[in-house]
Amino acid sequence: MIGWLSYPIFFATVASILAIAVLGLNLQWGITGLFNGGVAAFFGAGAYGLLILGGTPQPDHMGGFEWFYPVALLGGVLFSGLLAWIVGLLTLKLRHDYLAIATFGVAVAFENFVRNAEWFSGGAKGMRGFERPLESWIADPFWFNLAFLGVVLMALMGVYALLERLLRSPFGRLLRAIREDEHAAQSLGKTPSRVRLTAFVTGSMIMGLAGGLYATFYAFVSPQDVVPTLTFQVWAMLIVGGAGNNRGGVLGAFLIWAAWTASGWGLSRFAPVELQLYTGTLQYILIGLIIVGMLLWRPQGLLPEKLIMSQ
Amino acid sequence: MNLKHLNRFRCGLPILLLGLLGFAGSASAQNCTTKIGAVLPTSVDWGRPIAATAQFAVDLVNEAGGAGGCKIEMVLRDTQVDPKVGVDAAKALVDLEKVPVLLGAVSSGVTVPILTSVAVPAGVMEISCCSSSTAITALAKEGKTKGLWFRTFATSGVQAAVGTMLAKDKGYKSVAVLYKNDDWGQDISKLTAEALRAVGITVTGSIAINDGQASYRAEVTEALKGNPEAIYMALYPKEGISVVREWLSLGGTQNMIMANSLKSDEFRDSVGVKYLKNALGTDTASPRVASASRFVEMYKARFNSEPNGPGLSNSFDATMIALLAMEAAGPNASGAQIAAQVRRVTDPKGTPVTADTAGFRQAKEVLKSGGTVMYQGATGNVSFDANGDVSAPAVSWSFTETGIKEERYISLEEVNAFMNSLN
Repeated sequence: MIGWLSYPIFFATVASILAIAVLGLNLQWGITGLFNGGVAAFFGAGAYGLLILGGTPQPDHMGGFEWFYPVALLGGVLFSGLLAWIVGLLTLKLRHDYLAIATFGVAVAFENFVRNAEWFSGGAKGMRGFERPLESWIADPFWFNLAFLGVVLMALMGVYALLERLLRSPFGRLLRAIREDEHAAQSLGKTPSRVRLTAFVTGSMIMGLAGGLYATFYAFVSPQDVVPTLTFQVWAMLIVGGAGNNRGGVLGAFLIWAAWTASGWGLSRFAPVELQLYTGTLQYILIGLIIVGMLLWRPQGLLPEKLIMSQ
Repeated sequence: MNLKHLNRFRCGLPILLLGLLGFAGSASAQNCTTKIGAVLPTSVDWGRPIAATAQFAVDLVNEAGGAGGCKIEMVLRDTQVDPKVGVDAAKALVDLEKVPVLLGAVSSGVTVPILTSVAVPAGVMEISCCSSSTAITALAKEGKTKGLWFRTFATSGVQAAVGTMLAKDKGYKSVAVLYKNDDWGQDISKLTAEALRAVGITVTGSIAINDGQASYRAEVTEALKGNPEAIYMALYPKEGISVVREWLSLGGTQNMIMANSLKSDEFRDSVGVKYLKNALGTDTASPRVASASRFVEMYKARFNSEPNGPGLSNSFDATMIALLAMEAAGPNASGAQIAAQVRRVTDPKGTPVTADTAGFRQAKEVLKSGGTVMYQGATGNVSFDANGDVSAPAVSWSFTETGIKEERYISLEEVNAFMNSLN
């Protein structure tokens, strides 16, 4: 019984972590209209930040400060924010596709940095040596995973509540105004550049939180975790779920991650023996079909943006 | 919207799925079946033969009546070389399919999180054909793998030493090192450069080769700068082909030393064997053992090609050892019980058994009577150290018109003596 529950708990944990990253992207793209093509970098900054600050000392890379977990997690989030602030100052003058290319470049640079800077991040073999908090108290892996799912869900609900409030606040209205017509917002005396930077940094810090939780869960992070595929996955989740709608983002994260994993499980279980070797390739085709199908069927996403009249 | 297309799409998918379901019934009905899990990058071209070879070993064992009293079914999942996907696949195999043993993964970036967050917490044995990261040895030393971890891929130290031995024998004075920019490549290039310097050979440069670039002109030019007498390549075929082509076209030397990852027909054919006359490779396989050449024969009979991809013999041995250990542990054994039996089937003092159906039958008899077994595999007589790592004898090899020729066999004693002389 516990075995059958164990997998759904595991799945929900990873999906919730990804959902947090999707919410961060929703603030940037869905609400403010900033095309961030470098999700993986800000996710990775949170993950590496946590392991450097919260890990145990290792001979071959930096870090091992063994900070108290919540402080280390917050440190990772701030690290993402700092990265986003620098990137934002340099690139937010760019619009749409140019911003996408610039941020994508930042993510590739980040990946190559952590892959090569062995003194900093352990290079390609990754960073380890993190003791998961409370694991010594909750020895049973099932209960630990359940407890950790609780923590992740709390983080997800916290971020969700924050963004929902923000969406209904005058600031949220300002973000949407800038998305729709920057010049109009400017003519009303607003400063779009500063507001865009605020939204970019906040969204990236939310992604950093997701990265920190991810690294906590695996107690390990390597450059393999911050490849552009992650950016694509988070984007697919937001677009399928519905850009501009927080509930849609969370739904999209669960649905796409379910499609991603269930397609592999289904193929391994039901594909004929002679096709088993090709299930990996078939899975890619299935995932692609699902995403393309969703886009054709509901280009606005499953839960489209709702117009909110804020007073 | 184009409704016609949409409808066709909506109809097509269920039909495809139904078709897949229909095939599923053809699985053979046995008294009992034990599932083992395999998490391998089957969506990558060189990952597929690794999985096929593992399945091959399972089939051979099933011909001998299975392991631990049951037929073995290998449930194969793709990692997409994405840690999230690989860990999820491993978790599903452990929780939903109840596998006691996981084969895999290939990339250490996938293997480590599977080990730390799935295999060890669930008490499942993990054995990898191909992960080389020294980070796993460090984990094992800290006791974090709880004896559940094994790999049949010798850590990069052996190949680095043998590559150096070849350079020294050839009398090269200066060597440039080109390596795949991942954990394996970084490890082996660092170890090789250290070894080369230790025997007095100048290392003119260590150049990282990133995957999937359209051109490596910049990297190759960088390597040419020091005007080395030879190059050492720890690359995979795809990037190796581009690098060597540009290297030769810019007038680089044909003196090459290659790691086992370039032991591929694709590489030989694409570069052209006439340019590879002075190219020597290293590998950890042991062709002197009859069972190793037997593996090559069996592989050729089954797949109609030479086992020339990276990690094939290692994958075969990993699977065989896991199944032997399952046999030794008996029916319904847990992962920890199976892992505890690995030493009993790789005992240097045990009864030698070959890596085929007959050998497995023989091993069954020996194990039933309480004896121990020395598994003679495709990579030689495998024996694990306390951290689950293997050391291995080595060979040097070269390309011929039709395939790959073993040049020289370097025994385990010779390898160890040379490695000790480096320190």
